[in-house]
Order: sequence, then structure tokens, then C-alpha cells
Amino acid sequence: MSEEAPSGISDHIVFHGPLSELYRLAKEGKVPTHLQGSHTRPCKFWTATKVLSGIRNSIVLTHGPSGCAYGVKQAYKLTNSRNSGSAYEPVVSTNLDQNKIIHGGEKELKGALAEIDAKYRPDVIFVATSCATGIIGDNVDAVVKKARGEVKAKLMPIHCEGFAGEYRSGFDLVFREIVKLMDPPTPESRAPLADAVNIVGAKMGAERTEVDTDVKELVRLVEGMGARVNSVIAGNCSLAELKRAPSVAVNCALCLDIGYAIGTAMRDTFGTPLNSTILPYGIAATEKWLTGAARHLGKEAQALELMEREYAAVKDEFEAARAHLAGKTAIIEGHDAIKCLSIAYMLTQDFGMRAIIYNFHPWSTSARETSIDYLLETGMDPEILITKGTLALGKYESMQQTEEELLRFLGDLDPAQTVYFGSSLSYPNIPLVDLNAILNRPRFGYRGALKVAQCVKTALDYAFRPRSSMTRRIVFPEKGGLSSAQSLTPKLAQNAPDCTVYAGQKGRGKCINN
Amino acid sequence: MYQQLTFENCAHSKDPVVGCALEGIAGIIAGIRDVCVVIHSPQGCAATVALGYDNHEIDFTRRKVACTRLFESDIIMGAGEKLKDLVRQADATFQTKVMFVVGTCSADIIGENIEGICKNLQPTVNARLIPVMAGGFRGNAYDGMDLGLKILIPFIKKPEEVTRVPKSVNLIAPQASLNPTWWADQAWVTEILKDMGVTVQSVFPRDASMHQIRHASTASANILLSHDVGYGFLKKMQDDFGVPPLVADLPLPIGLKNTERWLTALGREFGAQETAQRLIAEGEAKVIDLLRRRALMIIPRYRNCRVAVSADATIGIGLIRMLFEELEMIPEVVLLRSDSPEARALLESELDDLGIAPKVAFGVDGYQIGQALKSHSVDAVFGSSWETYLAQEIGIKLAFDVLAPTNRDVYLDRAYFGYEGMLNILERVGNDWEAAMRSKEIRWDQYDEGQRPAAARTSP
Repeated sequence: MSEEAPSGISDHIVFHGPLSELYRLAKEGKVPTHLQGSHTRPCKFWTATKVLSGIRNSIVLTHGPSGCAYGVKQAYKLTNSRNSGSAYEPVVSTNLDQNKIIHGGEKELKGALAEIDAKYRPDVIFVATSCATGIIGDNVDAVVKKARGEVKAKLMPIHCEGFAGEYRSGFDLVFREIVKLMDPPTPESRAPLADAVNIVGAKMGAERTEVDTDVKELVRLVEGMGARVNSVIAGNCSLAELKRAPSVAVNCALCLDIGYAIGTAMRDTFGTPLNSTILPYGIAATEKWLTGAARHLGKEAQALELMEREYAAVKDEFEAARAHLAGKTAIIEGHDAIKCLSIAYMLTQDFGMRAIIYNFHPWSTSARETSIDYLLETGMDPEILITKGTLALGKYESMQQTEEELLRFLGDLDPAQTVYFGSSLSYPNIPLVDLNAILNRPRFGYRGALKVAQCVKTALDYAFRPRSSMTRRIVFPEKGGLSSAQSLTPKLAQNAPDCTVYAGQKGRGKCINN
Repeated sequence: MYQQLTFENCAHSKDPVVGCALEGIAGIIAGIRDVCVVIHSPQGCAATVALGYDNHEIDFTRRKVACTRLFESDIIMGAGEKLKDLVRQADATFQTKVMFVVGTCSADIIGENIEGICKNLQPTVNARLIPVMAGGFRGNAYDGMDLGLKILIPFIKKPEEVTRVPKSVNLIAPQASLNPTWWADQAWVTEILKDMGVTVQSVFPRDASMHQIRHASTASANILLSHDVGYGFLKKMQDDFGVPPLVADLPLPIGLKNTERWLTALGREFGAQETAQRLIAEGEAKVIDLLRRRALMIIPRYRNCRVAVSADATIGIGLIRMLFEELEMIPEVVLLRSDSPEARALLESELDDLGIAPKVAFGVDGYQIGQALKSHSVDAVFGSSWETYLAQEIGIKLAFDVLAPTNRDVYLDRAYFGYEGMLNILERVGNDWEAAMRSKEIRWDQYDEGQRPAAARTSP
């Protein structure tokens, strides 16, 4: 890798160059793109059930041992209850034991479908397969097919064995599968939904009631141009919403990557138009998002009016911040590929900054192809900086090694001209903006751009205050090393911004952001 | 004699409130110092292992876990080489004395020869390799903890190799408890034993070194700190190592009476009756004095309040006497997450002694908890955040969120055992009661408009 990398190579930096270069090297197999054994992500089963957790009055029946069900229930359902005020939500398991693993679990599955139908009376039962039942070869499709005439709920098998794909394959699989629950559009079904959109690519349950979330902001903007949202798929959507979803004027992708799978599946199956941009952080991306939606809604004039109105509301503060930031350098943490690319887009387009994405794992080049292609096609090619710590066994998210490497890199930069966009758990010696902090929402739309501007201003205004030695010692204790936001103790994990960790048994539920 | 609850439509489906065997085994491994774990599994299982570490609140910089991240081709072709590579890498990076090589469902079913791989690799790595097959289908987390304890038995020195240390004990399975800071219970037990002149040889396991585990057979007795796991281990220790169990037939020390019984039994065993009586007198005086000054209102509040207890056997069985005799509540429903013959017998004996016959269910799942709460008229529920949400849904106003997983922020470790432990439970219950009964907003529409403050009148 180092032989191929362009300029800027040092003892600690293994790649520093444009995204397009990293992308090319990865495709040519000249960059190791595998994740280290310590960099585990949620498996296909987890990501599949994360999307399924966002469909109201459905039951996820996990066919396998009970641990898989318990894990996702604690991570997703407990979080739904805590954040969104939703009632207790079960995740059911066929609870296979050693005996069933040897003799097969089809009988258990058949029995479980009947029991769940009677117990919960759900609209849909999703049968999510686990590693165990995938390996022993239970014929889940046949059991489900046979049970269809015997239970009231709709049944849908989801083949999401944990070993059957990388983590995002579970998202894509479920988004493609739930399209099968939808009704083909007719002129009659389209008429009442001519002014409606679906927001696609969401996961888990209802939005937090007490937080100005990004999705709420998008809904507000859609309504601001005289349209409405039929459904947020799959963010607490119902079967009825799903059934009529293809009849809307346009699907708007919440997240380019994840929304792409369902958006293209609905476009190919039903002809529902797809409007997708990178995550609508900031003004430029939001305007693309709104303009794309308006075109299909026939509301271009209203959208224009909305955009002018929204911009006018934030203009003074936003432009003051822009004037201050233009030409400065932004270092963006690369742990979440989609977010960092979207933030790079916003900072470049909206604020005229130079964006450098720090420790973007080369693994993301294959996992996030859609977003990277989009970014490159739109002429954006942010700088990528990868240090040795990113590729080491250990956890790069909050690892002492990567932290020291970051500080070394920043040593050459002027603190007055550089802003760090990343987690508050990092301690660079430059102003830091944490866009994941719960109070820094929404990040989408004009209000999001203003929020970013305000965050940057606050970070700069208080740059004179050294970061707390107390919190630094919490994150990086003496003799620390192999550490990770993914392995925080439960209490710390709960307070980690934006749910980057697994649920802890002792504490409140948490979600996995990726 | 209790009346056992039965539930329809539960033979083939379970809404689990307990993790799988892998989590239980991880919860044992996480209690051993200076070890690392290589998980031979698809990557999702790493989250389950993380739960075991979460249960110990292992500092996030001290977790040394790596996963082979098995994919389809590995399942079909086997992934022995992948495992070997990761073991070598983990040995070089983590530099621990011991490495557990853990196979989960996938490796277990396809028959990966983890034992053989470890045997072959052992001469080339520094860490002592311990192979473990931990398919989640081998049981629930309680079964997994029992399996984990069983794995440790071969490491314990034979009785003939050690010298027995009088007045020393091993504490068994403190982590098999739903007290959100269960290690505080272990600390309380250690402290009262110290008062009685008894030392703790090994804790199975909590921050235990392999040296301590090896020398567990030097202890003169074992004290089981759980009613959910560890009975098999206790028997093995008695049969093979001659270390007898103590107080395993008593409820754990929750509430005044249980604590008195527990301390008295230990005092008798270790010839420290006077110390035990002093601890009891001081502890009871403290509880009564504090409650007199700060909590008189609990008497009318709790008397004859009909309650459901949804807990593990460890906390649940101990709570019942405290609720019934000391707080004058009426336990109507008792729902336990585990199901062992020993816990059943102990609960039955307790209920017989108290002369009450609540409805009881063992090994319950979320659906069964919900059904039991719906079908019985109770004023309050003792449980975790799961029960809190269920209670809200059903319309039970009082839910005492005292067990894990809890919605509380818990910064300080709080025992539930002993006298301060009782106060800790009561303080949480008292605050939950207050929060539930406190008016949140005055409904002005029930008053004349004239009574409404001017500021409120102007709001929409």
C-alpha cells in the first residue's frame, strides 16, 4: 500500500491522498480492505433485524437459539422503548437447543408461527434465520409457505444468517424483501398520494420524542413545500403505509447507501421515482434533496419559495460563519463512512473549507460504494488520511495509537486555521465540533446548516479553554491502549454520542449506528 | 406451597429476557484477569461476548477480544487457518498469559476442531490456550455460566497438592445476579467475612487470577452468591476437592430477617457468633433509625400493597420475605428468570414458612411476564426496565426499576445484600413511588378560568 500511495507518507501515515486514489487502489486489490479481527461490526442478522424493528405491529421471529433474539431485542427494542416512549416490544425466538440443532427445527418453527399469530395478532411475522438454522439447513421457506394458509398474519422469511454477508447486506436484504409487501400502484391509488413522498432508508422505531431529529426536520421541510410524508421506511412504519408506498410521487432516500436498495427495488418493481442525494447535511445537499423531490411532486415553485424562506431565516448567522470558515481546513473523523463523506460535502460546498477525512477505513470503500460513486460523480474528491493505528489489531475509534498519530499530523497545521469534526472522545489540540452530540440536532436542512455554524462558532469561541484533563483521563487512562467506543463500559457507552455501541446488559438499551 | 402459573402458546416460541450460553460463558471469562478471547464465529457473536464484559463493567481499555469474522465460504470450507492466524496475531498483540479460544454456534455445528488447533498451536504461542465450545444453543446465559464454571474445574489443584487454609472461602458466581452493581454485594460479603476473621481465597470469577483459581481448593468452604447458577460447581467442589458449601440452603441476605439468618449461620460456622450478633444489632439499628427519620411514610404506603416480583432467583427469592414480613406487602405473583430444582425447593420452603401462596412461574419470558401482570390485580411490580415498560403498557402505575437492565443512571456501586443493601433497594423504590405519584401538570380545565394564573391563561 505504501508504495502505491502518493505524497505525504511518513512513519505513521500509511495513506494520504484523494478519495478517488484510495478507491482505485482498493478496487485493484492494492489496499488491504479487510477489517481486523478486533473491528467487528454487527452481522447480517443484526442489521436485518434493525430494519425489521422499524415496522410497527410486526413480530420478528428469530429461528435459532434464543441469544440472537435477546441481543437484538435489548439493542433495538429497549432503545425504542427508552427513546421513543413505545410500549414493550418483543423479539421472539424458536429457542432451539442442542437436540433441535441435531434433529432440525422445522417443527418448532411451524409451532412458533401459530403461537405468535395467536399471542400477538401481528400484521406481519418476519422469520429471521440465524447462523445455526442456516447451517443445519432447515427449509424455512417451505414451512412458511405451508403456514400461510393457517395463520392470519402475513409471513415473510428473511434469510439473514450472520455469516451470510457483510453487515450492510442485512439492511439491503430487508429493504429489498419488504418491497414484496407493497401493492402495485394504480391510477386510483396514486391520486390521493400525488402530493406525498416516502422517506426511505430509516431503521428501528419511532423518532425520539424530545429531540429535534434529522428525520423530523425533513418531514418539516417536505410539509413546508405543501407536500406530505406517507411513510418513513422503516422508521415506525405500518403495513398499511408499506402497502400503499409505491403510489407516492417519489421516494426520497434518507441515506444514499441504505435508501438506495429499497429505492431502486421500488423503482424497478413499481416505477416509483427515486430521489437520492448524499445525506442532506447542510444547505447544498438539502437543496438537491428538496429540488429532486419537488420535481416529482410538481412543486418546484413551492420548493423554491421554501428554500428562500428557510435560507432567509438562517442567512445572517450562516453567512457570518461561512466567511469565518472559508479557506480553513476541516479534519473529519472517518469512523462512519457515510456521515464523514456527507460532512465533507457540506463543509466543502456550504462553508468553502478544505476537507480531510481522517482514518477512513479502506474497508469502507467497498461497503460504501454508492456514496463514494455519488461523491466522485459530483466532482467532490476529499483528501483521505489513514494512519497505522487504523489498520492495527485493536480498536481505532478511540485508540491511543490513532490519537497520537492524529496529534502528530495536526502538529504541522495551524490551530487557528483548522477545525476537527469528530467525537468529543477525541482530544485534538484544535477546536472540535461534535455533530453527533444530542443537542446538536438537527443536522439536516437549513436549520442543520445553522446548527453546524453555531457549533463551529462555539468551538472557536471557547478554543481558549483546554480540554478537560478529567475527561481525557477517562478516555485514555494510563496504560490504556486497545480501546474502543464499541467496547465502552455500559454507562459510558450510553453517553457515547449517536449510539455507536452495542447494548449493555446492565444498563439501558443502545443502538448500533452503522 | 405455591401455585404454578401456566401459559398457553409458549411451547415453541420464546420472547427471551435472558441471553444465550455464549453470553454466560463470556460472563465467566470476563471475570478472569490477564486473559484475552479469540472468538471463532461470525462477527455478530462479538456483541454477545461484549455483553459478558459489560456485565463486569470491564474497563473499555482492558478488553482484549478478537473475532475471526466467519463468512459463508468459511462455513463451507472450514476456517482453521483463519483461526490460527488470528490466535498468533492476538498472542503477539494482546500479550496475555491465557487466551480463551471460543467457538460459537457456527463453529460448534460445523465441527471445527478448536481443541486440536489449540493443541497444535500451543508450542508456538506464549499464551496458554484454552479451547471452549460455546454454541448459543447449549442453553441460556445461566446454563452458559454453569458451563463456564465447569471449564475452570480442571485448573483447580487437587486436594493432595494443596494445604487447606482454615477460615477461608471461595465466593461463587457473584455475577449471576440482577443487581445492576452486583460486585457491591460481593464486596459486602467480603467485608463481613473479614469481620468474622474469614478470608476470601478466590472469587469465581471476578477479577480473579489464574493463580487464585488454581488454589481454590485451599479454601475451607464455598459460598454461592447466586440462586440461579453454580449448584453443579458447588457439588463438584465438594465431591472432588472436599470443599463444602455453606448457607446454600438459605435465601441470600436481602432484608433484615434474611440477613440475620445468613450472618448467624456464617457466625456459627466460623466460630464468630458474637461478631455476627454485633453486625446484626448494628445493621438493624441503622436501618430502623434511618427509616424512622426519613421514611415513616413507607408504612402506610406499602402495607398490604399487592406486588409482583419479576426477577432472577438470586434477588427474587430474598426479596419475598422482606416484602411480606418487613414491609407488609403482599407478593401476589413471583416470576423468576431461571429454573433450577434448587431454586424451586428454596422458594417453596420460603413460601411455606411465610404461609403464603403466590402465583409462581420459572424460566419466564417477556410474553409470560406480560400475561402474568395482566391477569393479576397488582398495585406494583418489582423488576427491571423490561417490567417498567410492560407495567406502563398494562396500566400498572407503580414499577420499581431496581434490577438490570435498568433505566437508571447508576454511578455509585450499591449493594442489595445486607443492611445498607436493604436501604439501597428501599431508596430506589421510594423514588420510583414518588415519581409515579407526583402530579406532572395541573389540569386547569377542571377549575374555573378565574383560578388560573395569568401567565398560564395567555398560553395556548
